[in-house]
Amino acid sequence: MNTDCKIGIFLCECGGKISNRIDLAQVGNLLQYEPWAHLGVYPYPCLAPGLAVMRQKVQTKGLDRILVGGCSSRVMKKRFTAGLAEVGIEKHQVEMINLKDHVAAVHEASPQELARKATALIAGGMASLSLLEPYEPASLTFEGPILVLGGGVSGFIASQQLARKGMESALFAKAQTAERVLDELHWTFPGCRIYCEDMAEILREVFTSPLVRVMPDQPIEYIIGGVGDYRVGLKQPDGSVAEVAGAAIIVALDREFGPGNIDYIGGGVRVCDLLDLEERLGQGDQADFKPGKMVFWVNSPQHGKEAQELAAMAAWRDSQVLAREHPQVKPIVLYPANITLPLTGADLVEARAQGIGLMSYAPEVHPVVQSGYVSFVSPADNLEHEVEWDTLVVPGAPGEPAAKAQELLRWLPIYPENGGRLQKSNIKFWPDQIPDESLFFTGSAGGACDLNEVLQQGKKAARGVLNLREKALQGRLVSPVVVHVDKDLCEGCGLCTEICPCGGIEHVKPGSGPVPRETDNHLCSGGGTCAATCPHEAIKVVNNTAQQLEARVKAILARMQENEILGFVCGWGGLASAEQAAVKGLTYPSGINLVSVNCLGSLDPSILSMAFLNGVKGILLAGCTPKHSCHYHYGVDHCWYRVNAMKKLLSLADLERRRISIGYVEVNEPESFVRMVESHMDAMEKLPALPGDDKTKAKLWAIHATMHRPRVRWVLGTSLRRPGEKEFPGSQFNAVDADETMLDVLKEEYTVSRIFKALQDQPLNPPDLARIMGEPVKNITPTLTDLTRDGRIITKGWEKGYPIYAMGKA
Amino acid sequence: MITFTINGKEVRGQDGWTILEVARWNGIEIPTLCHHGALEPYGACRLCVVEVNDGKRSRVVISCMYPIRPGIQVQTESPRVANVRRWIIQLLLDESPESPKIQELAKTFGVTPSRFKKAGVDFACHLCGLCVRACQEVVGVQVLTFGNRGLRKAITSPFNAASKECLGCGTCTYICPTGAMDQVFQRVKG
Repeated sequence: MNTDCKIGIFLCECGGKISNRIDLAQVGNLLQYEPWAHLGVYPYPCLAPGLAVMRQKVQTKGLDRILVGGCSSRVMKKRFTAGLAEVGIEKHQVEMINLKDHVAAVHEASPQELARKATALIAGGMASLSLLEPYEPASLTFEGPILVLGGGVSGFIASQQLARKGMESALFAKAQTAERVLDELHWTFPGCRIYCEDMAEILREVFTSPLVRVMPDQPIEYIIGGVGDYRVGLKQPDGSVAEVAGAAIIVALDREFGPGNIDYIGGGVRVCDLLDLEERLGQGDQADFKPGKMVFWVNSPQHGKEAQELAAMAAWRDSQVLAREHPQVKPIVLYPANITLPLTGADLVEARAQGIGLMSYAPEVHPVVQSGYVSFVSPADNLEHEVEWDTLVVPGAPGEPAAKAQELLRWLPIYPENGGRLQKSNIKFWPDQIPDESLFFTGSAGGACDLNEVLQQGKKAARGVLNLREKALQGRLVSPVVVHVDKDLCEGCGLCTEICPCGGIEHVKPGSGPVPRETDNHLCSGGGTCAATCPHEAIKVVNNTAQQLEARVKAILARMQENEILGFVCGWGGLASAEQAAVKGLTYPSGINLVSVNCLGSLDPSILSMAFLNGVKGILLAGCTPKHSCHYHYGVDHCWYRVNAMKKLLSLADLERRRISIGYVEVNEPESFVRMVESHMDAMEKLPALPGDDKTKAKLWAIHATMHRPRVRWVLGTSLRRPGEKEFPGSQFNAVDADETMLDVLKEEYTVSRIFKALQDQPLNPPDLARIMGEPVKNITPTLTDLTRDGRIITKGWEKGYPIYAMGKA
Repeated sequence: MITFTINGKEVRGQDGWTILEVARWNGIEIPTLCHHGALEPYGACRLCVVEVNDGKRSRVVISCMYPIRPGIQVQTESPRVANVRRWIIQLLLDESPESPKIQELAKTFGVTPSRFKKAGVDFACHLCGLCVRACQEVVGVQVLTFGNRGLRKAITSPFNAASKECLGCGTCTYICPTGAMDQVFQRVKG
C-alpha cells in the first residue's frame, strides 16, 4: 500500500443517527493500525463548523485524501468538495463511505457488530484512496474551423451564427449556390416555401461570408481525431483522399421525402403529391394552376402521427402561398381528427379571410376518393360528407435519412433507433459528471420536425460550439473524466472502439493496422466498459481504476467474516435503491458488504475471480434494468456476459454457479433490492463456505489467471452484444453455439492455467500432472503439446519415457 | 471568533455561521424539516424557531438562517419557543395530516389534529421543497418545481409533463422525508 499519502478520516455522528447504531469509538480502535494521518468523530462534518474543522485539519496535518464516513456520496459529496476547494482538495480526493444508509439504518445487529462492518468498508475506501494518482487536468485548445457535415439545412444557420461571432467553418453541401439550396428545400422540408425569403437571407450571408467555406459534398473516407482536433478524409473523384481538419463537428442531417403513394388513387395529373405541387409553386407559372378547388388530403397514417401533423402544417402553409399568389385556386385542408393542428386563433382568422377551408375527418373510417369528390366521415356529426375537388394533393412519403448518414454512423456515436430515427449517444448524467456537449447533431433525421425547429437546432449547436471556444480561451475546457490508454500494452485490436457507446475511443485511419488507440475525454462518459473489456488491460479510467477497486475489495475481504458476502451495486439503480431502503426504514441482514461502482459494466471480470480467490462465499451484483434504464446504454448487459463467464468457470472448478448472481433494480424500488439481498443471502446460507484446501485454492487461482488471459478477454469482448441483436460474432449462428464457443475457450484456458499453477511448484511429467489436477491424462496431453509448441512451457528432460514439463521460455 | 450562549451554555462560532449549525455542532438538537446538510438554508418550515435575546429585546427567529452575533442569548426550549413550535406543528399537521414525518413530530410535541378544517389534503407531501432544491443544487438540473398556489400548491415538473431533463437519478426520492416523492418521480420521469 502506498503510504506516502495522508488520509484524513472524518466520521459523522449525524445527530445520533449514526452514532447510536454504530460504535464509532470502536471503529477508531479497529482502524488503529491502518495508515491514516487523522481520524476523528464529529457531530455534523457537513455543516459550516464541521467544514471549518476539516479545512483546519487539512492545513495543519497536510492531508491530501479525505474519507468521510457519513451518508450518501451522491447527495453530500458536492458539499464537501465545495467546502474543501479553498484548501486545494479536488473532487477525486474525497471519498465517502455511506455508514448511515449502508450500515446504521438498515441492520439490526449490535453497535459493536456494525462497527466491524463499518471498519471493513472504511478500510476499503482507504485502500482505494491510497492508489489515487494525482493529475493536473489540461485544458484543450480549440482552434480551427468547425466542420459542418451532412448537408442539412441546419448546417447553414449554424455556419451563419458562427461566422457572425468570428468563427470559421467548413460546410459540406450538395448545393453550391443559395438558389440551388432553395430549389431543393422541399425535398427535405415540404411546405416551407413560405419561409423562402428568410432562408434566402441566411443563405446569402453564408455564401458570401469569408469565414464560411462551402465545399462540395464528397464521400467520407474516415473521421479520426477528437474534439479540438478532428480530421475528416474526403474521397476525391480521382480516388485520392483529401484531409480537412477542424475543432468540432456539427452533423446536420435531414430526412428526405419521397414521392407520395398516389398510384392507388389514380386520376392522372389532377392528383399529385406535395413535392410536385411545390415544384410547380417554385416555377410560379400561373398556367399550372387552373381555377378550382384544391384539396390537401392528409392521409398515410402508416407514417405516424408526427408525420401527419407535419403534412397538415405543410398543407396549411402551401394553402397560404396559394391564396396569396394564385387566388383562383381555393385550397381546402382535409386532416385526420386525431392530430392536433397547431394553429393559433390568428391563423384561423386568416384562414377565413383568405377562404382556406380546414376540415377534419374521423380517422377510423378511411375516406373514399371518387372522381371529383372525396367522401369522409365528420367527427362532429358522424355523418358522411363529401368535399369537391379539382386537384387532389397528398403528402410525400418520409424516407430514410440520407445515404450520407450511413457514412457518418460508422465514425460518430450516432445510432439508428427503431423506426429509422437517428439518435446521438444519449448518456443521461449529472451535468458536472460529464464534459460539455462537444458533438452536435441537428436536423430532421433525429426526429420529425419542421424548418423552424431545425433552424433553432442549428442555432443551438452554434451556441454550443461558441461555449466550447469561450471555455478554451479561459483555459477551462477540461473533461471531468480522464481515460488513459497505455501505449505499451495496447495492441490496437480496436475492441474498445467497437463496444464504446459514447465515442470516447478515437478511430484510426482505415488500413493503418493495429496502432495504439487514443481516447477522446470530451466524448467519454467514464462508463468504463472499455477498460473492463480490454484484452491487454491497457485502458484505465483515471482515479477509478480496476487496481483501486481490487485494493478496496481485498481490504474489505480481509475484514469480512466467513459467512458474509460481497455486493456490487451500480451507481444508479443499485446504489439508489440501497440508499432508499434506509430512507424507507427497511432492514436486511448485515452480512452483505456493498461496494458501489459507477456502472456494473466497469467491473473487470478479474475482480470477481479475485474476490473468490480471496475466499468470499458469494457475490451479488445489483444494476439497472437492462435496455431502458442503464445510464451507460449497455453497461449492465456487458456485465451479464462477465458474470456468465464467471459462472461457467465456477462450474468447471466443481463449485456452485449460484455463488454469483446478478439482479436488476430501479432507483425507486428499495423493496426489490431488499428482496434480492435476502434471497441471495438465504441461498448462500445453505451453501458451505469455499473450501480452504490447496486443491480448491489452486482451482480458484486458475480461474483468476483465466480471467486475465487476453484470449479469454478477447472472446468475452467480442461476445458482448447489444440486446436484441440477432447476429452473433464469427461463424456462430445462434445463442447456444455462441455460448458453447465461449465455454470451449474457457475450458481450454482454464486447463492451461491449472497446468501453469502445477508447474510453477515443480517440474512434472504428464501422469503426475494429471494426478495433481485430478484429470485423465488424455485430457491434458493435447494442451501440453500445444503449450510446448508455442514455447509457453519447456521440456526439461525425459524420465521413464515421459517428458518432464517445466515453466520457462524455450 | 464570535462568542454567545445557547441555553446558557457558552458557544463559539465564526462569522457567517447560523445558530442552527452552531447548536448542532455543540450537540443541541433543534427540530427541522426543510433543512438538509447538502443544501442552502431555505427557511420554509419555520420549525427550527429559537428565541434570541440581543440584550435589548427578545425575538423568535428561525435558527437555520439567523447568522450568529456576539453576545446574543439563544433559548431553544423556552416556553415562548415551545408555544410557537407547537403552533407551527399544528398548522403543518392540518395541512399534511398524512405525512409520517409530521405525525411523528406531532407525537413528540404532543400536538393533536385541531379544530381547523382539513382542506382536503390527503397527500403525504408537506411541501418542504427539499426535492426541488436538491434537483437544482445537487444534481444541477431543474426538473422539479412548485406548481399552483395556495392550497393547491404541489410538487410537479414544468407544465406537469414528463420531463426530458430528468436523469432518473432518484436524488429526490432519497432526500424526500415522507416518501411522497415516489409517485411524483414516476410521473416526472415519464
